[in-house]
Amino acid sequence: MKIAKKILLVLGTTLALTAFAQHDPGTSQAVAAKVALRGDANGVRVTEIRAVRRNDILIVQTDLFNIGNTDRTVFYRYRWLDSIGSQVGDGESWKQMTLMGQGQQTVKSVAPSSVVTDFRLEMNVELR
Amino acid sequence: MSRLMKSALLVCASLTLVACETRNIVSSPVIRLDRQVNYGDAKGVELVTNEFGSNDLQMIAEKMVGSLLETGIFQARPTVTISTVKNKTSEYIDTTNVMNSIQTTLVKSGKVRFVRSIAEMQQGVDELQRQNQSGMYKQGSTAKVGKMTAAKYTLEGELTSIVKQSNTTKDVFYKFTLKMIDVEEGTIEWQDEKEIRKTSKR
Repeated sequence: MKIAKKILLVLGTTLALTAFAQHDPGTSQAVAAKVALRGDANGVRVTEIRAVRRNDILIVQTDLFNIGNTDRTVFYRYRWLDSIGSQVGDGESWKQMTLMGQGQQTVKSVAPSSVVTDFRLEMNVELR
Repeated sequence: MSRLMKSALLVCASLTLVACETRNIVSSPVIRLDRQVNYGDAKGVELVTNEFGSNDLQMIAEKMVGSLLETGIFQARPTVTISTVKNKTSEYIDTTNVMNSIQTTLVKSGKVRFVRSIAEMQQGVDELQRQNQSGMYKQGSTAKVGKMTAAKYTLEGELTSIVKQSNTTKDVFYKFTLKMIDVEEGTIEWQDEKEIRKTSKR
């Protein structure tokens, strides 16, 4: 009975960890809060996000770093949100980008309207 | 083996399966034909062939609109019209579509006012003539002739491509260039490019 309980506990913990530990450990929590990652980060670290309001328009740049030695394929797009968290517009088109081994790329986008105050970077990473 | 032990093992097996399922292998937003007919994501990455596609159009429009809004050239909400967009590629591409997407997003941004382009002018003239010359409308309710607002800026674009192919590979490089020209002064007030590379196995 004790063994059964232990097995359940270990597996439950493992399941919980696999379900939530998607981001690379090098991605800070503050940055991760702005990234809607699907699946595993597969060694792609979101190192920094810079958001600035220029001419009343939100401009966002995100640095992605591939800690692996082999290439990664990243699919991404920005989702624009207004002050109450509602989506603005239909959403951007998805983009595909190859991130070379040990390489860093910056993905930039400009909000389509002044009402945009927040954003999320939606992304998923394929091993190749 | 006790009943509890058996149940525990069963639950463990189920959890392991779920864990494997959630072990973060997710689909990517690419256009694939899974069924004979399928409603797909209109914003997805279309990889059916390496010819000019919907995703290219969307990426060009997004880049150009973003660049225009970022510069702050639209601070005074100027009037803009669309001029020609030359297609210098070997493909048939409806470049009006690219400009329509750019215009739609800019109009929705509220930062700029678009006036009729040359292509749209005849319809405007026809409607003015119908209202003013047909004698069918109440006086005072008709739109007056000679009140149109002229464009301060005009948008001119060009799409080019470089195609290279070997026995195994085909590489296409597209470049879209857009210029915003001050009509009165003839000066280029803004210009940007979007480059797209698509490579495929033959």
